[in-house]
Amino acid sequence: MSEAQVPQHDGERAAGWTQTRGERWLSRALARVTGSVLGPYQTAVVRIGFGTAWLFFLLREWPHRRRLYGPDSTWSFELGERLLDSNHAFSVLMWSSSQFWFELVYHLAILASVALLLGWRTRMSSVFFMVGVLSLQNRSIFMGDGGDNVIHLMAIYLVFTRCARVWSLDARRARRCADGGPSFGATGPVLWAVCGAVLLGGTFTGGFSLGWGLLFWGLWLAQGAWWLLTRTAATTGNTEGRDLMDVVANVLHNGALLVIMVEVCLIYATAGWYKIQGSRWQDGTAVYYPMHLDYFSPWPELSEVLAGNGLMIMVVTYGTVLMQVAFPFTLLNRRAKNVLLALMIVEHLGIAVLLGLPFFSLAMIAADIVFLPTALLVWTGARTDALRRRLTRRRPDAEAPRHLPRPRSADAPAPDPAQAADADRARR
Amino acid sequence: MEPQVHEPAHEPGAPVGAAALPLRTRIVAALAVGAVAVGASVHLGMVFLHVAPDNSLSKKHDAAIDAYVYPEFEQNWKLFAPNPLQQNIHVHARAVVAHDDGGNETTGWVDLTAVDGEAIRGNPAPSHTQQNELRRAWEFFGNYHDDDGQPIGMRGELSQEYLKRIVMHRFGPELNGGTVERIQVRSAVTPVAAPGWSEERIDTETQYSTQPWWQIASSDLPGGAGR
Repeated sequence: MSEAQVPQHDGERAAGWTQTRGERWLSRALARVTGSVLGPYQTAVVRIGFGTAWLFFLLREWPHRRRLYGPDSTWSFELGERLLDSNHAFSVLMWSSSQFWFELVYHLAILASVALLLGWRTRMSSVFFMVGVLSLQNRSIFMGDGGDNVIHLMAIYLVFTRCARVWSLDARRARRCADGGPSFGATGPVLWAVCGAVLLGGTFTGGFSLGWGLLFWGLWLAQGAWWLLTRTAATTGNTEGRDLMDVVANVLHNGALLVIMVEVCLIYATAGWYKIQGSRWQDGTAVYYPMHLDYFSPWPELSEVLAGNGLMIMVVTYGTVLMQVAFPFTLLNRRAKNVLLALMIVEHLGIAVLLGLPFFSLAMIAADIVFLPTALLVWTGARTDALRRRLTRRRPDAEAPRHLPRPRSADAPAPDPAQAADADRARR
Repeated sequence: MEPQVHEPAHEPGAPVGAAALPLRTRIVAALAVGAVAVGASVHLGMVFLHVAPDNSLSKKHDAAIDAYVYPEFEQNWKLFAPNPLQQNIHVHARAVVAHDDGGNETTGWVDLTAVDGEAIRGNPAPSHTQQNELRRAWEFFGNYHDDDGQPIGMRGELSQEYLKRIVMHRFGPELNGGTVERIQVRSAVTPVAAPGWSEERIDTETQYSTQPWWQIASSDLPGGAGR
């Protein structure tokens, strides 16, 4: 790779001007993807969004959990086994047909989503979250819908993001430790050992396929190595290993963030482009029909009133196609993107109520918000913080955000100088 | 040429990220950048070909795409597309029950979808058991059965057993004072009427399609059914 050879100081350049500019661009791009966590607020809010969506879903379905995913579900354990034997989908629920194991997994999935949304030991809880989502959904794949599908994909992608840099318990612990160096409390190693024992058990009972086994063991070893190298850095001053881990984690994070963003674009692009081919979307009546399906009309009177206006149905029908097709392209223009994003979130709120799909809508909104502008997120965060402080009557400076990654200058207001200095320190 | 500092400087323009590392680690970092770039490109390429309509490229690499995407990255975003569903598909079921006196009785048709619809009405957060279970089971059944109602492959058999269990969960093992021995399902498809403001006229007559009788075994009874 050439960046290892690219000199960092422009004065040392001897080659032609165009090449210099290209190389300078490349080296700056590489410095960004290796040296920083892009979109820390966006990934944090996506983490919170999906954690919340899945948590609400699990709580709402709690009374129905056995019928959906239990060993005696209408999609029986035996049916699930036969399907999974043929498609090799991952589900720890297939490890045992006992009621106890099912209850344990379901309730651990609830705990994992709470941990994820709070950002508690996120490197671990994001993996448990993914295991919970995949295990339950794959156990009874025919119970799910589009909302489950989005959560399924994002649960996998989130494992690879550093989604707890802000607005998380992990970030708070890091802030508290920052002044006195990294903390080597016992919680981390204990959790790591417990995870290792669980992995060992799963591996010896043949619970993992080769691919999943490698992934889980790889993640586990990486955590151990990280802890060790951070400790080495703190005790011996040799930061090389820790810095390398940091760079690799940044690269993984930025790659996963790109995948999340493109995934959202693919969702809207396919949804829009297939609609264009449909006669009902062309004649402007499409939106009328779902509102008259028994499975998607919790409020028939409301649907009746809204569907009674032909002009409005046409506007919403055309508007939906227009927005979905246009969305990926509006990313080229910040203002257009933000307007469209707001409209799509409003449309999803409408779908939540009108079509009775609150969890689908929540999941889609959680995906949409990866594109929210940093300035808005920071502002909302500050408001929430202020509100929480007022509610808990803490001293105003007790929880003041420090060491936050700096928002991207293009969409952020002039940063507070004190915070910017902190941000620089946080970047090392 | 490469910076040998272990604690990178903080001045603006100072190397950050991989550029701040010693050469040895910079090579590893470069490999990581390469691996992630390749991984993300392959992943997004596969997902794109999976969600895009069949095209020359995806037809050629059909097997590789499926092998990559299934089961964990499967996705379908044809949401209400190309056309939204324009008919209400109801699943009806009836049973032959055996009475203690040796007599048999065939029950009337029960509209199971209507029961779901009733539960969804006025419900801000319908359960998957109300909104998806029967609806998607019937879709699954239809996708893996031919026009004569014969199952196609293993999934065809699974879908039939699944449907039996759903019906039996809702009926319970005892019905009308007798034991359920056989069940029969049919679909009742009613097109949604054209909007009042449109010129279009749509025939809204219900079409029925009846499946053969199915024998009920104890394995078709979900635990807790009727208890």
